[in-house]
Amino acid sequence: MVDVSQHELVPDHVLIDDPEEIEEVLAEYDVKKTNLPKIKRTDPATPDDAEVGDVVKIVRDSRTTDQAVVFRLVVS
Amino acid sequence: MTEYEHVTDDMEAVVEATELPKRLKTEVYETLETKADEHGGVTIEQATDIVTGVENRYIETRVDPLEPVGTVSAQSIGEPGTQMTMNTFHYAGVAEIDVTQGLPRLIELVDARKTPDTPMMTVHLEGEYATDRERAHEVVWSIESTRILALGDVSTNVADMLVRIDLNDDTLLERWPTHSDPTEVAGIIAETIEDSLGVDARQAGTVIEFGPNEPSYRELLQLVERLREIVFKGIEEVERVVIRKEQLEDGEEFVLYTEGSAFGDVLEIEGVDASRTTCNNIHEIYRNLGVEAARETIIDETKNTLEEQGLDDVNVRHLMLVADIMTNNGEIESIGRHGISGSKDSVLARAAFEVTVNHLLDAAVHGEYDELDGVIENVIAGKPISIGTGDVDLRMGSRVVGDD
Repeated sequence: MVDVSQHELVPDHVLIDDPEEIEEVLAEYDVKKTNLPKIKRTDPATPDDAEVGDVVKIVRDSRTTDQAVVFRLVVS
Repeated sequence: MTEYEHVTDDMEAVVEATELPKRLKTEVYETLETKADEHGGVTIEQATDIVTGVENRYIETRVDPLEPVGTVSAQSIGEPGTQMTMNTFHYAGVAEIDVTQGLPRLIELVDARKTPDTPMMTVHLEGEYATDRERAHEVVWSIESTRILALGDVSTNVADMLVRIDLNDDTLLERWPTHSDPTEVAGIIAETIEDSLGVDARQAGTVIEFGPNEPSYRELLQLVERLREIVFKGIEEVERVVIRKEQLEDGEEFVLYTEGSAFGDVLEIEGVDASRTTCNNIHEIYRNLGVEAARETIIDETKNTLEEQGLDDVNVRHLMLVADIMTNNGEIESIGRHGISGSKDSVLARAAFEVTVNHLLDAAVHGEYDELDGVIENVIAGKPISIGTGDVDLRMGSRVVGDD
């Protein structure tokens, strides 16, 4: 099977396992968890140990700045 | 100390103190460097002028709170879109492969069509496959679909109720580079024919003969028809592969361009560089690489489509916004009534977009409720809209200003 994370189109996906970090993100943007963009549990790039309801941190090489950090909520 | 010859520590301090993002800072450094080369040095005053100028422009162009970025994006893509070619005229874009361009391609992208009009892949190779033409061709033959007409001549003998295939030795060896005996390859082909047509095939050297189980005219003709459809090697969806030598920063490599796409299958083929190979079908990218890669592809494809038409002054942020919205749900949604616009919460917003009566009727049947949160709803209701100054409330304080 091809290792998806090696593809240059796929940015780093990291599972956040510290609930406090998620709270900080939500507080910074003043949003609820369900307002975050979503990523499917079945998405090829979702980290293997991510469960529905977890938050994945994605670090993209941005076109407009150096690196852009976005968060996606894992959904079924 | 900086890596730039003419940039002093003082200048660096000025640049680093600004709010500019890293890329712009690098660009400022580079500009200072070239200007210094041209004019024999830049003074700290000149440098400060440049840097503050850049920073002011940067701050000026930042989005203000409550600015309707979506509307601005729609117009910024829509206006140049009116200048694009309307017809689906295909021309040799890359390596003689027809690719849909211009407005039809842009529409295809934002509509998130399941399959593009002209699917194609750009296949990069790894290791010696990329440098050796022979080895690159091995990959070509395992991608390009090989049908019987490419391998030899097919004739029908009506008197004996037989289909006769005369295979071409050279072609067989060329397309099956791992075999050295054409008869062996002919054996493989005969087997494939038996399996897919359900007939008994006789093979002698590179000649294969077979006929219908029961003598019948129609059977015979149908066998020939079905024979032509069989894919003996390669991927069914890929009609043609073009091989091209491309310049790299360090040397050159062979790159394959395919007409037709099967992204998932190609990634598994030996010799294919699965980290750089791409495809112009956003759904195939989504299935194989995930939603983030699909987002990147949407941006790349829309950007290239616009640039191809000479509309490269559309800011990439607009395209990024479109891609963000289309992938917000974790899967690809089209812009339009079947996608984003059709999934809005507000009845009035949906009704204002397309098929007004259906939406109002459905909403009435289901007893929907409109919160009047959005823009269109409030325009309809004649209330201030919740963007820009319309979303700012003023409140009178109980104290006199400055009376602390």
